[in-house]
Amino acid sequence: MESREHPPVVAENLGKKYSRGWALRDCTLQIPAGRVVALVGPNGAGKSTLMGMITGLLRPTAGRITVFGDAPNGRGMHPAVAFLTQAKPLYPQFTVTETLRYGRTANPGWDQAYAEQLVERAQVPFAAKVGTLSGGQRTRVALALALGKRPRLLMLDEPLADLDPLARETVLQTLLHECRVQGITVLLSSHVLAELEGVCDHLVLLASGQVRLAGDVGRLLHQHGAPGMRLSQLVLAHMRSEGVAA
Amino acid sequence: MTWIVWRQQRPVFITLAGGLVVAAAAILLLRAGMLADLKAGNLVDCVEQKLAVCRGKEAREFQKSWYDLIHIAQIAVVVVPALVGVFIGAPLFAREFEQGTHVLAFTQSVSRTRWMATKFVVAGLPALLFVAALQLLVRSWVNAAGKLGPLVGGPFYFTTFDAQGVSPVVYTLFAYTLGVFVGALSRRTLVAITLTLGVFVASRIAVAVRRDEFGEPVRELSPDLTDPYAGVGDGQVMDTGFLDAKGAVVADPGSAQAPCVPSTRVEVSVEDRTACWQQHGLAQRYRDVLQVDQATTIHLLEAAIFAGLAAVFVLGLVWAVRRQS
Repeated sequence: MESREHPPVVAENLGKKYSRGWALRDCTLQIPAGRVVALVGPNGAGKSTLMGMITGLLRPTAGRITVFGDAPNGRGMHPAVAFLTQAKPLYPQFTVTETLRYGRTANPGWDQAYAEQLVERAQVPFAAKVGTLSGGQRTRVALALALGKRPRLLMLDEPLADLDPLARETVLQTLLHECRVQGITVLLSSHVLAELEGVCDHLVLLASGQVRLAGDVGRLLHQHGAPGMRLSQLVLAHMRSEGVAA
Repeated sequence: MTWIVWRQQRPVFITLAGGLVVAAAAILLLRAGMLADLKAGNLVDCVEQKLAVCRGKEAREFQKSWYDLIHIAQIAVVVVPALVGVFIGAPLFAREFEQGTHVLAFTQSVSRTRWMATKFVVAGLPALLFVAALQLLVRSWVNAAGKLGPLVGGPFYFTTFDAQGVSPVVYTLFAYTLGVFVGALSRRTLVAITLTLGVFVASRIAVAVRRDEFGEPVRELSPDLTDPYAGVGDGQVMDTGFLDAKGAVVADPGSAQAPCVPSTRVEVSVEDRTACWQQHGLAQRYRDVLQVDQATTIHLLEAAIFAGLAAVFVLGLVWAVRRQS
């Protein structure tokens, strides 16, 4: 497949301006294939805006962006991408079984057995209505819906924000295990640095709508950090030096 | 994709199906009861034509018990299109945007256009069928009452016209497309509902008051000067006035009639008044009447206007769903 040769995301001088001002400006970056990419930054740094433009939900004000070689547009998201937001929108009146059927109907490459397996492993009852599930269970169903379409790029916008610490741990481990096994590129946004440590191997630090740091985690630590420094310390140090209020 | 919309709209479909069953049972029962009354009152012939016997006590009793009921059924057919626009059309996309589930829909593999088209068709078709079925049921009842029911007012009588021919289905299409478009544009259910109702009612009135411009009224002349409706048929009277002896329209009949008003309070006979008006130059009365056989043409012209607007709303819907914020 030709699009395999294109990197998952390439942005050149990408910018997005809302009526209140620029949310993202002069953003040039590349998301390499097969990596777990952490998109970090304080609230309002432009993380969700960047993800919105990758999905095609938002239109760039300036610059260019391609997803597997195609420019996102309003006709629909690139089929190789799956997206999970913090709100995890699902139809509350659907049962879990019906939600999976939704995924099957709306995605030609759907893997029903895999999606069912993910739900079973999370021990979520299939007959339950989505609206009655706990936050953790909802996340697992949403994750099954996102992974069931067999994406090549999985984007998660603050997926763990409303979960308790135990559920965060489980969800994150499941997620990363699946993505490593399937060779899926992951773009994970969070403002909690600690939980991404030891998980991501590529970092994009956004602050005030601009890219402050981007690259391989090992290389960044080697270039910018002191010996034995942890990723969260590096990021914090960098944000302080830039005068960013986190 | 059809299944998704079917599943989402399930409560609406159940309501429509239940409503249709109840409406059909009620109308068929009432119609049967009415037919029994017709037989009992020896009024069966009065359905076809206005006879002298049809002004008797039995006819009055019959109309007292049935006319309003039939009228209400006709009004239901007139109102249901607005309800379809407000309760099925307006929330269809607005609720998705409001609850954020459009993000779920927009991030699946199927295109936004296909998602929109499927929702539009699968949610709208049952509503159109519902209106068509309701119209036919009410129609059979109205016909059974004939000249003893609302049909006595002719095809242009407002509830009769609006509940007949292509009109109910086209009004429904108009209200539904208006609702989905406004919903996708505003992304707010309440705003969409309010706008849909307002715009629907305003456009229906705006078109209805111009109905005479769609047809060509025929000028009927009458020697009866004092009664503008003497010998009037089933057509719709659009305008009345006076002609002078040469056949020209009298611009200001008031000034011709003014001298004939007695200065004291006395009863003036119709003959005297007619003679007086004639002396002052009023020779004939005319009325411009929309003829009964034009009803179909006017139905189709009105339908063309609303169908055209519906097409514009569908294009607007495509734009609104595919636009990026």
